[in-house]
Amino acid sequence: MPRTGPHRVLLALYALFVLAAGARSGVQLATEAGRAPVAYALSAVAALTYAAGWVAIRRASAGRTGFASVMLWVELGGVLVVGTLSLVEPDWFPDASVWSAYGVGYGFVPAALPVAGLLWLRRQRAVPVPTAASGS
Amino acid sequence: MDTPLGQLTLVAVGYAGLVTVVALVLTLLRRPRPAWLDQGVWILELLMAVRVVAGVGSMLNGQRPEAMSSHVGYLAAAVAVLPIAMQSVADDRGPWSNGVIAVAALAVAVVGVRLQLTWGTGA
Repeated sequence: MPRTGPHRVLLALYALFVLAAGARSGVQLATEAGRAPVAYALSAVAALTYAAGWVAIRRASAGRTGFASVMLWVELGGVLVVGTLSLVEPDWFPDASVWSAYGVGYGFVPAALPVAGLLWLRRQRAVPVPTAASGS
Repeated sequence: MDTPLGQLTLVAVGYAGLVTVVALVLTLLRRPRPAWLDQGVWILELLMAVRVVAGVGSMLNGQRPEAMSSHVGYLAAAVAVLPIAMQSVADDRGPWSNGVIAVAALAVAVVGVRLQLTWGTGA
């Protein structure tokens, strides 16, 4: 992985959201799972998605962009689908999930993160990655 | 926010906000990470550690937060986030390492606010 670059900030954000979504869903599923099972399960799915996103960004920063080009779209799809469902079917969400209303509870960072990732990925594909053979 | 614990939280959150803004500006200006920013981060870590110790002390004295499990989670996050962030950029003093600091300091500010909210009234 290159030592410096914007991927460092993306990795920090993904790690933070693994922690935030994972802890949130873990506590909620352990203490009050019956209150909003769909929302809490979706938060757990979000945590897993962020963990996969972290791996994807890390691999892409080393030049292997295949996983990221799938994973970031999956993440964006998840935010858009869950965000829309939370607005049109509020009964399914007695309590908020991480992606409710497109991540309004997290300053819309959940919606911005995959977009930022995809923009970075586009640039990443255009830049040749130094290899060990080239002496980096 | 009228109690000493609340005022301590307010100071820590305000300082975390300052570190966030400074780190963000350094990122946007594409400056290498200065040593004084590291020192600022460790001062923030010290402030959060004092806040956590004070919070744990209050709980040991019999006070209970309204949302116990969440509050304990936030106490742990309050002292864990900055060292992890600093470790992740230990080999990188480039401009983007300032961005990592900005993310971590913002997270600490949010955790500070959440600590206050999960403690409940009278904090």
